[in-house]
Amino acid sequence: MRDDPTVVSLVVRAGDGDQEAWDELVERYAPLIWSICRRYRLQPGDTDDVGQGVWLRLIEHLPGLREPAALPGWIATTAQRECLRLLRVSSRVDPVDPVDSREVGEHAVEHAVAEEEVLRHERRRIVRAAFGQLSQRCQLLLAMITQDPPAPYDEISRKLHMPMGSIGPNRARCLDRLRRAPALATLVD
Amino acid sequence: MTETGWNDDELLDALRDALQTEREMPRTFVDAGKAAFVWRTIDAELAALTYDSAWESADAAPVRSESRAATLRALTFASDGWTIEIELTPTGVLGQLDPPESGTVSARGHSGELASAEIDDLGFFVLWPIPTEPYRLICTPASGPTILTGWVTP
Repeated sequence: MRDDPTVVSLVVRAGDGDQEAWDELVERYAPLIWSICRRYRLQPGDTDDVGQGVWLRLIEHLPGLREPAALPGWIATTAQRECLRLLRVSSRVDPVDPVDSREVGEHAVEHAVAEEEVLRHERRRIVRAAFGQLSQRCQLLLAMITQDPPAPYDEISRKLHMPMGSIGPNRARCLDRLRRAPALATLVD
Repeated sequence: MTETGWNDDELLDALRDALQTEREMPRTFVDAGKAAFVWRTIDAELAALTYDSAWESADAAPVRSESRAATLRALTFASDGWTIEIELTPTGVLGQLDPPESGTVSARGHSGELASAEIDDLGFFVLWPIPTEPYRLICTPASGPTILTGWVTP
């Protein structure tokens, strides 16, 4: 997954100034930055700052990025550093001596968190891709069932023109199709 | 774990998790990321600050004003071929591109585009609303290259 040739090509093209390739990179990795900010419980304004910080650094790094395949890890680590920096600046964590806070132990934890977020991000992306391969009707049904809180059956019935009694069987059918979606097969280790 | 090993509940959990970020993440977050690419053109043609009326009152002050309503502040940015003069007024950012040429101008901060306007054929423009965060102007004359000014802190 980390050697995704699509990412390598996007990085090269964006490095050459291709806005479309850049847009695709942003579409692909904005959710990764977003979920890392969520993990650190940043406020919306701070989340925007982290996003800009990561993108601006990436723009600077594009020409010299030697291993485009390592991009997700780089983005996760950079986003995480920005989050921690913002939290320190705004004193929402206990003030810590910056030298102390760079201890090996903390580095190891940071690294593990970044790795975990990258893996989650890839998994979500694959599940979303599989979801995208379903019929419109299945997508609508599953989206309503997975929303928080889940849509009540009478609402689903009304919006999808689906008899209440067939929601259960359709749910099972759509999930079965999701399970068999080609994109999901890449998740099987 | 194989695909057939996912029961319905596990599959729904995975799907809920996968769709959650998309539901929560505002499109503005993605759009700001796309817009950031414009900074890549930073060395295409950079117009540096050559004059700031605030220098008259305070020696070598950074580009920053006290922004009192009546205060009129004038700034000049220059690149090799172009000069951009702006005045920060209560009714907008008034600008003059020299040599005069029509085109477009926008103010861009870290959060993306803050304002944009047409430059008329006399090289004049009015940007509104007045950006409230630090920004740079991006001028694109019809015939010329994109010109990026230094930062203006309102």
